[in-house]
Amino acid sequence: MSEPKRLHPIASVINTGKRLKNLFIPLAAIFFSGGREGKESLLITLGIAFVVVLFTFISGLISWLKYTYRFENNELRIEYGIFIRKKRYIPFERIQSIDLTEGILQQLFGLVKVQIETAGSSGDEEAEAVLSAINKAEAKLIQEYVAAAKTGDSEVANHQVAKPIFKITTPELLLLSLTSGGIGVVISALFALLSQFDDFIPFKKIFGGLENWAVHNLILIAIIVFIGFFLAWLIALVMTMLKYANFTVVKTKKDFVISQGLLEKKQIIIPLNRIQAIRISENPIRQLLGYGTVYVESAGGSIENKDGANVILLPIMKVKELSAIIGPYLPEFHFTTSFTPVPKRALRRYIFRSWFIPVPVAVAAIFFFKIWGLFSLLLIGLFTFWAILKYQTAGWSLDGQQLTLRFQTTNRTTVFMKKNKIQSLEIRESYFQRNKELGTIEAYVKSGLGGAGGTVVDMEKSEVEKIFGWYSKEQKNREAARG
Amino acid sequence: MQTEPQKRISVSALKVWRISGVIKAAIEWAIAVTAIIIIHIFNGPLWVSVILIAIAIILTYLHIFLFPSIRWKRWRYEVREEEIDTLEGIFIISRTLVPMVRVQHVDTVQGPILRKYKLASVIVHTAATAHEIPALEESEAEELRFYISKLARVAEDDV
Repeated sequence: MSEPKRLHPIASVINTGKRLKNLFIPLAAIFFSGGREGKESLLITLGIAFVVVLFTFISGLISWLKYTYRFENNELRIEYGIFIRKKRYIPFERIQSIDLTEGILQQLFGLVKVQIETAGSSGDEEAEAVLSAINKAEAKLIQEYVAAAKTGDSEVANHQVAKPIFKITTPELLLLSLTSGGIGVVISALFALLSQFDDFIPFKKIFGGLENWAVHNLILIAIIVFIGFFLAWLIALVMTMLKYANFTVVKTKKDFVISQGLLEKKQIIIPLNRIQAIRISENPIRQLLGYGTVYVESAGGSIENKDGANVILLPIMKVKELSAIIGPYLPEFHFTTSFTPVPKRALRRYIFRSWFIPVPVAVAAIFFFKIWGLFSLLLIGLFTFWAILKYQTAGWSLDGQQLTLRFQTTNRTTVFMKKNKIQSLEIRESYFQRNKELGTIEAYVKSGLGGAGGTVVDMEKSEVEKIFGWYSKEQKNREAARG
Repeated sequence: MQTEPQKRISVSALKVWRISGVIKAAIEWAIAVTAIIIIHIFNGPLWVSVILIAIAIILTYLHIFLFPSIRWKRWRYEVREEEIDTLEGIFIISRTLVPMVRVQHVDTVQGPILRKYKLASVIVHTAATAHEIPALEESEAEELRFYISKLARVAEDDV
């Protein structure tokens, strides 16, 4: 069908840039550790660094030269490798999804990064291909070929024409960013960076003499720390906004098409028939406001691309409105909001379990710090409050062919599962549960290469058994034979 | 619970578990003895050593005698035409149901101790989870593997 083609030359720049980024920390390490002893060693390390960087540039260039792709015999054929030539042929009809990403560099040149995913049943990363920069027209061509191979008609799903089922509004984007946990990521990245340089920067020398000063300027330090946190929070806010800006979901005949991002534009396609379960996750702040995030557990994905497994379908929405927003597009799911709660006698077990950690801590604190240790009682209070919240959240619902479980860990999670997508079901009872006629239920669905699912603890035993019976085919046959 | 699975696993499983219990106990004793020697070197209090020995004795009893027999008594399984049903657990009893349609593949595995007693474990994999039926007679495990994979092939796959 076509001649072997190379990626756009920008691909070599992108790949080289990526490799240099990976080299940065080891190189910095060599620099700092070798550089101190004297001029000669400094020269040697500089030399090594120069050679390494030069080598990276050259190998980046050659690997770009050696990387070709072509369409032939209804296959995407990729050949690459400098010393070891590798050929990967992917039949079009085996391609499960094509994800498009446009980074800043790609956008400048009107290019797009294409990630091709196959069924991933074998689970190794070999099952996918990444074309890091090609023309948009080329990308469209691949989409058309794949669509043609799958359905027989060459009409490519036209994502732009269909009316979006969800488009993020500015207030929603703001709310999403304000309530996201992104700040934790920024702070931990900051700490990770600092700890990397811990060995090189003589913190002790710098700060040793400052101790005295520090004691007298506690307020100043507090302000600096506060500003630091504020900046981290601001960075996180901007990052989240950039990532989720223009978040749009469109439904085509067989897929959800999700596009998002401002600086890095991304397009993800979720085939409807790969959807294993729908999950709502509400972090505590959003739970308070009645908002949540909706994920799709999908059977796709591979080791390299773990995100393929649980994709954000709606980054933020009012939980109450879920059914109205996506209900019509996923008719096989019932987005119920009424749950059977766990029985009252379970509350004591929920609270008791939550005390495993804080009670010993409190005892130790009171033992060692005497009167000040009483503050640790606050901790017990907090855990108890959390346990009550967990107890109130826990619930289930059985609705025809669908099992819905709701539970709280840190986030409140609701999982909607169809019977024919549940991989296995487990019911448990401990000695203490048995005395109280309570049981635990856990259901698994496939998500990417592994499993996901839900657990509800301390349900009424008869209800646990009812769900077990609902899932068991033989049980039903037997009942049918009897009645 | 309703119509629990009935089939037991091989009696020799008990022996195998006792042997692996002996190995676990040996490791625990090694740790305890090392700790006691260190405490002795640093002139630590005697009662710590006494407690350590007591713990080691209790763990030895649990690993070699109590746990294997409870575990064996509890273990039940049943492979029906449409599903695999297992019941297991020492403190927490758990019952698992795997529909035949969901089975992706079946393995039999055999460690050195299992081999000595001509036993094998069957591991059933779904797309999301893995379930082990431990210590069956070699021939039975082999049969089960064939049986499950045959039934699983009949069932259509719509993952």
